[in-house]
Amino acid sequence: MSEPDTRGTVTRRDFLRLLGAAGVATAFVPFVPWGKFMPNPSNIVPSKVQVVLPDGTVANVKTFPKNSSEVITYPSSGDPVIDQEAFKKWQFIRLPEELGGGVDDVSAFRVYSMVCLHLWCLWKYWPQEGRKRGECPCHGSMYNPLTGKAFAGPASLQAPPSNVLATLYLEADNNGDLWIKPATWSTNANGVVGYGRFLKT
Amino acid sequence: MVVSLKRRNGFADFCYWIWDGLERTVFIGTKFSFPARFVSPFGFLGMLTFVTFIILGITGALLMFYYQPILDRSWDSVAKINNVVPFGFAIRNIHYHASNAMVLLAVLHMYYQYFSGRYKIRNEIIWVTGVVLGTVTILEAFTGYDIIFSERAELAISIAASLTNSMPVVGPTIRDAMFGSGFFDFILRFYTLHVFILPIVMLGLMAVHMPRFLVFDVPMVMAITGAILVTGGVFPVDLGSKFQPTVPPGITVPEWYLTGIYAFLRTQYDKFVTGVLWPGLFIVAIAMTPFIDRYKKFSWKDRPIITAFGITGIAQVMVTTYWGFYITPDTTKPLVARLVIDPIFFYLVMLLLVPIGFGFSYMMISLAKESERKAKLAAAKAPHKVSTINFSGKWINWLIVALLLFQIFLDIAAYNAALSGMKNFNLFLTGLILMSFAGMFHLYRHGLNEAKKAPAAPPQPQTEPKSLGGSEPPATAPPKEETSGKPTLPPAAVAPEISAATLDDIKDPTIGKSDLRNP
Repeated sequence: MSEPDTRGTVTRRDFLRLLGAAGVATAFVPFVPWGKFMPNPSNIVPSKVQVVLPDGTVANVKTFPKNSSEVITYPSSGDPVIDQEAFKKWQFIRLPEELGGGVDDVSAFRVYSMVCLHLWCLWKYWPQEGRKRGECPCHGSMYNPLTGKAFAGPASLQAPPSNVLATLYLEADNNGDLWIKPATWSTNANGVVGYGRFLKT
Repeated sequence: MVVSLKRRNGFADFCYWIWDGLERTVFIGTKFSFPARFVSPFGFLGMLTFVTFIILGITGALLMFYYQPILDRSWDSVAKINNVVPFGFAIRNIHYHASNAMVLLAVLHMYYQYFSGRYKIRNEIIWVTGVVLGTVTILEAFTGYDIIFSERAELAISIAASLTNSMPVVGPTIRDAMFGSGFFDFILRFYTLHVFILPIVMLGLMAVHMPRFLVFDVPMVMAITGAILVTGGVFPVDLGSKFQPTVPPGITVPEWYLTGIYAFLRTQYDKFVTGVLWPGLFIVAIAMTPFIDRYKKFSWKDRPIITAFGITGIAQVMVTTYWGFYITPDTTKPLVARLVIDPIFFYLVMLLLVPIGFGFSYMMISLAKESERKAKLAAAKAPHKVSTINFSGKWINWLIVALLLFQIFLDIAAYNAALSGMKNFNLFLTGLILMSFAGMFHLYRHGLNEAKKAPAAPPQPQTEPKSLGGSEPPATAPPKEETSGKPTLPPAAVAPEISAATLDDIKDPTIGKSDLRNP
């Protein structure tokens, strides 16, 4: 007021305000990374483990029945409570005869994350004649057991990668026991549980 | 209520001392009134909502003594509360049904305020905080039914987490921060939200939302509480089946206040749009109503467009709520055919409800105006007649005695039911006791009013009649429209409504009422 025109110049008062603002900002900056307190990321390193069925036995290419499925846990944390996580649950499927489930090697098996890509309900494989597909009980998404790709329902309408289930790759040893290869949680490898995977063509 | 204490004893004095002391606190701004007669509960639905909030706080705190927010134990701990802990069944059912009642009362409260235009006259802040409060109430109820961790709860948590995840840009970060990494975290964090963070947020919002004039109507509060207990006794909430990751769940629908969103999700469109954007838009539209509504009048009859929007909104909410529930029972159809709602059909119905809602509002407004006009004509022609139920004081006493006896009978029956393990019958009877207490309290209060009004038999020369029982509560409901409960004592046949009522209220028995009426 007293000064005629202060436009374009920095008054003493403006300068003090700037200093004050800088002081407030620097005082609270160290708290920004404290946001890391909230997420609780899993620190389990995926490793190569056997396919352990719910009854405790190891899945074998010779004995596991065709056109059927079981729920397996991967990666196991060793804590039985944490292992009940839906995000650690996978549908372990032996394909039906006509889709190549007849052969006694790894190609007859598929493993997909049970977490539906739509709204994360848990789907399961239905072996009945005429179904032979994964179905989600919440909103009706259906999954192709061969590829893990949604072919009907809301999940099928989502853009890639969110229309293909995350998967686990298997290998068999000389006895026919099945092993899970160490997984890489990215959309171009095993996929991300609840998010999806790019289908390799 | 307090007027009955003719002789003040030490305890009553102590209570008054506390009551007066509150004037130095933040409560100075709040005026409580305990109505001395029946008033329509629509006016204090907010207070009833608050009362259910308190009930939820108490029962919830009790449940916390037993509940364990651990992935594989939460369901078992709830089962223990339900089946083993004495009266745990009652506490859990009250908590569950009070949560439903709270959501319902909050919604009713909102719509009553909406149609009566109460959000005007600088009540915008109260309105907007109320809308936020309602949303948080639904979140609170949602987190509550999730931490049981039954099958349905697991699916609900998944949907909540993935809807959060679906928000563009910020979604995954919020999801990580709020939900943690998996179900083990979800359940613990939902519990934290449910018992601490959200209630604190609600209390903070309530502090802003509270108007300065509050009505606490004991009979209505007791009746609502009783109704919650009775509902718990008749429809005890089940435990659901424990979630087991190896057993994928069957078809499940959420609680009734979320089936509307569920119907939108079932149309298969993008989950962010249907599950976050549409509900968000609806809430924002409601919150913005005071700033859109430019009518100068309050009544719904004088604000046709706003009324029509409200009616349309209610119709859409009701239709989507029902549609979300409905799943064709024909199990031969594939799951997707049973679950997916045809979006074209669905959105067409939503659009169709707009003209229907507007037409319905127009019809209602015309009818109401017509009947108003007729009532005016009738009032001009003949005096307004009010038919009342009049009991003599003796009969009021006998009725109270009868209700007391009924309550004693119910007390015994409830105790007997508890002894013989009929938990839901016990809860039902307890609710009935509260309801009959509500009736008794109303009669008691009515009787007191009548006793006050009864003419002092011989007109004595008495100058200061009100010196003794001077504890007139300053806050009792304004006695303007006291026509309904009035005895037809004065022989002067009909009383023009308002002026007669105010005359009736003159307490000085030396003044003959009839004199005043016919000057």
